Amino acid sequence: MTQTITSGTTAGTVAGAPIEVTNLTKHFGEVHAVQDLSFTVEPGRVTGFLGPNGAGKTTTLRCLLGLVEPTSGSATIGGKRYHDLHAPMRVVGSALEATGFHPGRTATNHLRILARSGGLDEARIPAVLESVGLADAAGRAVGGFSLGMRQRLQLAAALLGDPGVLVLDEPANGLDPEGIAWLRSFLRYLAGQGRTVIVSSHVLSEVEQTVDDVVIIADGRLVRACPLTELTTGRAHVVVRTPSTDQLVVALASDAPNAAVARIEDGLHIEGLESAAIGHIAFTAGIELHELRPGTDDLEQVFLALTSVPTDGATS
Amino acid sequence: MSATLTAPADVARPHRQRLVSAEILKVTSTKMWLAMLAGVVVYIGIGVVASIFAPTQPGVSVPTLETEPGMRNLFAQAGGAYVFAIILGALGMTQELRHQTMTSTFLAEPRRNRIMVAKMAAYGVIGAIYGAVGVVFGYASALALLPLKDHAAIPTDALWQIAGGAVLGCALFAVLGVAVGTLVRNQIAAILGILVWVLLIEQLVVVFLPAVGKWLPGGALFGVLQTTGFNGAEYLPVWGASLVLIGYAVVFGVLAALTTQRRDVT
Repeated sequence: MTQTITSGTTAGTVAGAPIEVTNLTKHFGEVHAVQDLSFTVEPGRVTGFLGPNGAGKTTTLRCLLGLVEPTSGSATIGGKRYHDLHAPMRVVGSALEATGFHPGRTATNHLRILARSGGLDEARIPAVLESVGLADAAGRAVGGFSLGMRQRLQLAAALLGDPGVLVLDEPANGLDPEGIAWLRSFLRYLAGQGRTVIVSSHVLSEVEQTVDDVVIIADGRLVRACPLTELTTGRAHVVVRTPSTDQLVVALASDAPNAAVARIEDGLHIEGLESAAIGHIAFTAGIELHELRPGTDDLEQVFLALTSVPTDGATS
Repeated sequence: MSATLTAPADVARPHRQRLVSAEILKVTSTKMWLAMLAGVVVYIGIGVVASIFAPTQPGVSVPTLETEPGMRNLFAQAGGAYVFAIILGALGMTQELRHQTMTSTFLAEPRRNRIMVAKMAAYGVIGAIYGAVGVVFGYASALALLPLKDHAAIPTDALWQIAGGAVLGCALFAVLGVAVGTLVRNQIAAILGILVWVLLIEQLVVVFLPAVGKWLPGGALFGVLQTTGFNGAEYLPVWGASLVLIGYAVVFGVLAALTTQRRDVT
């Protein structure tokens, strides 16, 4: 399908507002969903809000949008709580998981209801539906929509007020590869106009090509908040394969006690030592090497390492 | 912010007006309210036919059509739409919870009291329409069937009062339905609870213990509709019964709004 990306949104620049989460804590009874979480999301960039399922992403976003009352701390948009925004849908557009549709209602009527509730212009509805590729389904009942179509309708609802801030919770869920590619370019376009875009996901690779910044949380706590480029400069390592693994481990332990040596399938994974140094140690000890391959952890490995050990970034 | 760029035509509209119109669109954009309206017609039709043709039971004194109270009872059947009004109100809230549209509703207007007030106002209007449809259909069928039986005359004033009572009663029961739906939350529990209460428990108390029953919402409705019970049992006068019904709607409405105020929407 082809979409005119611009049709549902204001052309030119749109002033986004920063999102500030400050010492946010939310407990549901005994469950500590979010713990003392602080981060900032800047306008004009796409920020990936990442973490495994159950990390507290949705709770954080729901606190930001006034749906869930924080136990302590705050989450604001342009310095204001969602409750205090005059016409919230004009400032923040959101598409959350577990936001539903009445199955018997048409896509257009769903948006008309939101437009009336939020004091928005109903005349924008056809253009917004077209911008998400749902123009042909406008008059159909949502009950017959696929998951991907529902995601697009959520996005249409988020764009209805032409807001400067977009909060999207797992928007790629249920989209086919073509849809994901479309979503990427759409989000890049929206951020390029100056909007603030925050996109949550539990899969880094899903948003890797879209985001400028990442905020990674695990177990309700912040693990990392930085530009994506900082995350990609992962730790350098060397993979070594040798028929004499045990001898090499002994040689490394005596010659380079500070290197981190880990056994992997038919070889070793070494950090803190250059490949030339490893080759020299092996040569000196008379150990035959079959492979000596430097590399860096890829993004997904970095992400997994970060989120599996929530307290710090150390290797497990 | 972006609001200044889009020059919204709608923003000046007061929030009450927008929110009530959104709530009414929620109702009219699905088919449930029409199905329930069909129920109103069937239910009132059965009530009118039974009032005119049912044989009197031995041992129970019910005002007959030859008396004025009997005639009032017949036209009071037009108020039967209240059963559907309260269920529609309860559905109005529990559907939002069940289909998780409540999230969008609160995102569009985070001041939840405004939503609750708008919802109750919208359902009050729709309940009143149900009441009016019930009156038109109930009166038409009663007037069409009455010539088949001997019957007393009924003052035109009483007809207007009963009609007004039916419209008011249905409006208030619809509001009550929204409140019950908000408090119970689970759709099946709310609907079953309302049906068992309205059609069974309350009917029994109102009919057999009128001294207690007249203070219940259903008994108050009997008062508003100027009904006379078994063995000449009387209910509250119209003004008192109206106040009792309004009281129920206000108390439950406020309770519902209070519980919604800070509840987490997850």
